[in-house]
Amino acid sequence: MTSRSRNVYLVPYLLWMALFIVVPIALILYDSFFDVEGQFTFGNYGKFLTPIYLRMTASSIWYALLITVFSLLVAYPAAYALTKMKHKQLWLLLLILPSWVNLLLKVYAFLGIFGTYGFVNGVLETLGIGRHQILFTDFSFVFVSVYIFIPFMILPIYNALEDLNPSLVFAARDLGASAWTTFRRVVFPLTLDGVKAGCQAVFIPALSLFMITRLVAGNRVITLGTAIEQHFLVTQDWGMGAAIAVFLILAMVVIMIVTGKRQKGGAR
Amino acid sequence: MNKSKSGASIYLAVIFVILYAPIFYLVYYSFNSGGSMHGYEGFTLQYYGEVFQDARLLIIVLNTVIIALLSSAISTVLGVLGALAIRRVRSRRARNSLLSMNNVLIVSPDVIIGASFLILFTMAGIKLGFTSVLLSHIAFSVPIVVLMVLPKLQEMSPSLLDAARDLGANGWQVLTRVVVPFIKPGIFAGFFMALTYSLDDFAVTFFVTGNGFSTLSVEIYSRARQGISLSINALSTLIFLFTVLVVLGYYWLNRRSSKRLGMGVPK
Amino acid sequence: MSTEQTIIQFEQVTKRYDDGETVLKSVSFEIERGKFYTLLGPSGCGKTTILRLIAGFLEPSEGEIRFDGKVINRVPANERLVNTVFQDYALFPHLNVFENVAFGLRIKKLKQAAVEAKVLEALRFVNLKGYEKREITELSGGQRQRVAIARAIVNEPEVLLLDEPLSALDLKLRTEMQYELRELQRRLGITFIFVTHDQEEALAMSDEIFVMKEGTIQQSGTPTDIYDEPINRFVADFIGESNIVPGSMAEDYRVQFAGKTFECVDGGLRPNEPVEIVIRPEDLEITTPERGKLQVKVDTQLFRGVHYEIVGYDEAGNEWMVHSTKKVEVGERIGLDFDPEAIHVMRFGETEEEFDKRLLAYEEIGHDQ
Repeated sequence: MTSRSRNVYLVPYLLWMALFIVVPIALILYDSFFDVEGQFTFGNYGKFLTPIYLRMTASSIWYALLITVFSLLVAYPAAYALTKMKHKQLWLLLLILPSWVNLLLKVYAFLGIFGTYGFVNGVLETLGIGRHQILFTDFSFVFVSVYIFIPFMILPIYNALEDLNPSLVFAARDLGASAWTTFRRVVFPLTLDGVKAGCQAVFIPALSLFMITRLVAGNRVITLGTAIEQHFLVTQDWGMGAAIAVFLILAMVVIMIVTGKRQKGGAR
Repeated sequence: MNKSKSGASIYLAVIFVILYAPIFYLVYYSFNSGGSMHGYEGFTLQYYGEVFQDARLLIIVLNTVIIALLSSAISTVLGVLGALAIRRVRSRRARNSLLSMNNVLIVSPDVIIGASFLILFTMAGIKLGFTSVLLSHIAFSVPIVVLMVLPKLQEMSPSLLDAARDLGANGWQVLTRVVVPFIKPGIFAGFFMALTYSLDDFAVTFFVTGNGFSTLSVEIYSRARQGISLSINALSTLIFLFTVLVVLGYYWLNRRSSKRLGMGVPK
Repeated sequence: MSTEQTIIQFEQVTKRYDDGETVLKSVSFEIERGKFYTLLGPSGCGKTTILRLIAGFLEPSEGEIRFDGKVINRVPANERLVNTVFQDYALFPHLNVFENVAFGLRIKKLKQAAVEAKVLEALRFVNLKGYEKREITELSGGQRQRVAIARAIVNEPEVLLLDEPLSALDLKLRTEMQYELRELQRRLGITFIFVTHDQEEALAMSDEIFVMKEGTIQQSGTPTDIYDEPINRFVADFIGESNIVPGSMAEDYRVQFAGKTFECVDGGLRPNEPVEIVIRPEDLEITTPERGKLQVKVDTQLFRGVHYEIVGYDEAGNEWMVHSTKKVEVGERIGLDFDPEAIHVMRFGETEEEFDKRLLAYEEIGHDQ
């Protein structure tokens, strides 16, 4: 504090920031104004506004919403149940452990489980419902995504529930609220930040993960992520891919602002 | 009370089963002599044999490990420096903007990171392969390390630094004898997280890797796209075991180091 | 001004922060070798700033700080011959007791044998023999305190700085540590500069007290000087309990307050100058209304253990607090008796220098008479 020695640690860190955050984002923006021949154009954005792309965007957002909502519906009770357990830490570790297993392997497993002769179809057949095409359907895409994202939703909600002062719950009960009212009026509002953080952690990847769609939803381009991958690595139309990426970045910023605001106020 | 508790246990148990079922499904069929992920015919270790005889695969495993270790080591150094830098910034606004910049790569979708790095490396004339993958992994691991180290730094009372200087330590000695030992758990956690991020990464690597260089994730993806092959199952079993070992090892090391703070002996 | 005995000298030192806040306003004082000094004042008065300036954690904005006659304004903390005991002890949690105490010696690259000898000696000095291998987390607050002191004194500093080191301890331990610190200072024979906001601590331990307020030193002197002759309302209020009432100086040695004229020992003031009168609650004695110099009606009475704390009002409406072993009845009219020496007269806006000059002047006159 005495001699105002300059902050030398800042140099490599800022260098990293410039090189791998500022420059790449600038490059994406720059590239989005060029067509395949390298000519300057606004055409990529024009193309993005055609019905084909708008429909794809809408469907991507719709799937992401579905995935987020289902993950939340499964994860909130799980996180709540977790806080009631005796060996919380152990249970938490066990629930988080699968998220450390390579995502591709888990997706790959569903190729077998949902396959024509796989486990699920086997069960359906014994129940007399008969075999169905499950793999490469919207259902398999949403189910596998929810499966992948559940741990990411549980963790922030669990943390928010753990941070909740238990005497608030007792106070609500003491003031005559039923268990359900207590949850609705006290517990849920106070854990909203965790819910928001969880939704953020699920929604953005759900918009953009392309390998799940590629592996279990067939070769259909139904998410923004798949579209970007398609343009960059298959059709080599970087400009169009960059334009979609710019849209995705904008969407991300919006989501961050919407879900981020309260978090600041709620921070201790 | 009791009823709700057992209800909670049952619900958790169901989630637990669902989360683990696919993994064990994979493991189970890796021993299937039938050659597919249905209709278990008999026990075999044939696919494990295939994995260990596949020289190409072993090289890829080696690549993956080298990339992971190198990138997490380098990003740990950069991340620690970054955290120290953020901690030193006095103005609250500058610090907050640094932090939000730091988090950009954490919240950014992998496709965006992958695509933008692809453009970057192409423009910079860096050949896609080992170097580009390593640089990308370092780049996206740095902010994670920063986030793991920063809370530890903030936990450290400023009077500790004053005390060290008061006792005659110069800037370097303060850093090596007080700061680094204090934030060691954070550094350790950061390194571990960077390691898992690197081992796990598929999307970014997929974008920035070229012909002839592949990591395990990319290899699994390209094999899985061709359909089911039980050697992937065997590989997953091995990876799963490895993951469990690493996680348990990490917890054990963590426990041990926190225990040492409790009652250890000096070196 | 400075003598052989002077070790630290502040000359018109001002400390201003980047945001423009001035925490120390042109402060000058001298610290002598081998004495126990206390910087006393409410939080934000600048006492810790002085400590940090001496330690080298801050640089003065203006003025000079001298150590042994040499200006040390820009000497970094690690090159100064002072050591600090921190408020939160600042013990290194990753090192055990031995290594904490050895820290400074290891920086100086002393031989292992010398380190061991000195550390054990320092630990013995603070009564922590046998605790070398303990981890910091295993120690109680009082033990941590001792480790912090041992870690500082093992470096044989010429000045030991103590930043409210007792504030985290409970009352009983705090009183014990007051004795120990004073004793330690005598045995070491070095200068202690102790920062506190607790006036009892200051009175009990110090050779000299600096009472501070808003970045200035209000008064300095021995504990008895400051207690008996506070220079202004702030000091009188801050040090001990006081009855402070408005009055005026009829002439030398005669003061008026509460509508009456009393004999006193102060002089050297203008006739009829408005002043403030201080009488300590323990200097008031309860008697019958007829025999008392003052008559008050008892308003409240609290039992404080060693005495009763009685508050009453005289006819002029002045509040009087009395510490007495006698019990009275609330609502009762009582008389208060006091000696002329118990009355202390304070002029408005008088600085310490002016006070000293006046004291000197009228004491000489007093002797002549």
